Amino acid sequence: ESHIQYERVGADVTMKCGSMDWDAAVTWTANGTDIDESHLNGSYLILKKVDLTQSGQYSCYEGSSWHLKYQTFLRVGTPPKEPLLMCRSNNYPKGFYCSWHLPTPTYIPNSFNISVIHGTKEMICEKDVFPKNRCHIRYLQLFSTVKYKVTLTVTNALGKNSTTLTFDEFTIVKPDPPENVVAKPVPNNPRRLEVSWQNPSSWPDPESFPLKFFLRYRPLILDQWQHVELSDGTSHTITDAYAGKEYIIQVAAKDNDIGTWSDWSVAVHATPWTEEPKHLTTEAQVAETTSASTSSFMPPPTTKICDKGAAVGSGAVAVCWTAGLVLAAYGVLFI
Amino acid sequence: MAAADSPSAALRHRDLCSRGIRLAGKMRLDVINLLDTYVERQGLDASASVAAVEGVPVAAVERWDEQTGTQRLLENLVAYRAFRALLAQMLEEQREQLGEADTTLGRALAAVLLQVSAFTYHLEELLRLESRGPPGEEGAEPPPPPPVSLFERKLRGLRVLRELAQWALRSTRDLRQLAKASPGSGSVPSPPNSP
Repeated sequence: ESHIQYERVGADVTMKCGSMDWDAAVTWTANGTDIDESHLNGSYLILKKVDLTQSGQYSCYEGSSWHLKYQTFLRVGTPPKEPLLMCRSNNYPKGFYCSWHLPTPTYIPNSFNISVIHGTKEMICEKDVFPKNRCHIRYLQLFSTVKYKVTLTVTNALGKNSTTLTFDEFTIVKPDPPENVVAKPVPNNPRRLEVSWQNPSSWPDPESFPLKFFLRYRPLILDQWQHVELSDGTSHTITDAYAGKEYIIQVAAKDNDIGTWSDWSVAVHATPWTEEPKHLTTEAQVAETTSASTSSFMPPPTTKICDKGAAVGSGAVAVCWTAGLVLAAYGVLFI
Repeated sequence: MAAADSPSAALRHRDLCSRGIRLAGKMRLDVINLLDTYVERQGLDASASVAAVEGVPVAAVERWDEQTGTQRLLENLVAYRAFRALLAQMLEEQREQLGEADTTLGRALAAVLLQVSAFTYHLEELLRLESRGPPGEEGAEPPPPPPVSLFERKLRGLRVLRELAQWALRSTRDLRQLAKASPGSGSVPSPPNSP
């Protein structure tokens, strides 16, 4: 007959060999390996201050016949600490969900029980198949001033613990981040970026429960974000982008009236439109292509980037410089 | 009066809904600020639970999404008429209790009362547009007499303001639902463009 035995880390454990007398000759094994007699007190197995590595199958055999007399599975673990509980409505006004976890593992099986009370009414929190540590509730009422009280109790063989959250219907509303954020350059506009996004698909009725949005953007080379709050619409044109600089852009959402901001969306990158690069020409080449000059003076081999509006590569700022200054400018741009 | 489904009625409907949404939004913000002031001046605990009080309209509603436009308007109207009377009572109590000592609270109460009155009128206009006309107030019950003890009056005031804040939020949502539907369609809500 096999048993499971749960013991706390650090406890002293005594195992009896079934119904065998104290003075019976026995052999104990742990996971198939003989245990030294120094751990025995008669036929009892004594384990002092057990630790996690001592979890396993313990078997007791009668001395001469090697008949199995007792077997147990020792599980060393800890009682649960106070669980961490969170409740949130990302699909208002349909309902909300609560999820939980333990701050530290117990190393033995735990069971969780959740109760949700609204006023005097107990509500059913339906457990999700996945993830296992989550359940959801449908709102039966809206616009209530009565708070919800959610109590989570975690129990294992070594003890129990619980935590309680109390909140108003509207304080836990937090949408998921906006989806499908797209940022594109605007043709012929070196300082603009067009950003568009969609409402999170989990938000059930954006027409009746509109979301507002917060957009943040910065060039990759700077740490400071620019912020724009938008009360309607799912697009925005940035008009003050630095020409030619790659930008990182994110969007967050919030119900227009209640709750808190979502997490930031996945970041997207975009660079404003720049004009097509023209060929580099040197003064010497220009001189060769023109009609022969009577001057014998040869100008130094400098390179001019051509006229206003031109650029070399998509990352450069369009300017006119001599070679030395151009090199310095590139050095600054690509730090 | 224009027919409920005429273009001018539709425009008026849309205009009243959007203005109503802005009114309700502003009112809610002012009520929330008033709540903070009230709790502080009356020496109350902001997190205190206050049981339902007779005569204070409760904003909580089941099956909110199944309500018709007319139901929404009527329930809102009944509620705001009650709040108008309750706030007037609170203002009078506050003047008796504190005299001119606390004009901040008095002014804030008076400002919210004005907004509630304006919103009540707005709702009546919307009901007229629905071709229903607002119900008269003659048959309406007066607010119950205020509690005798000062502490109970304070708690009732807290309840009034909390429910009013929730009503203002509900009204915003109700008017958005109304804005989706055409005027005069007092039947059970149906998807747009359905008969």
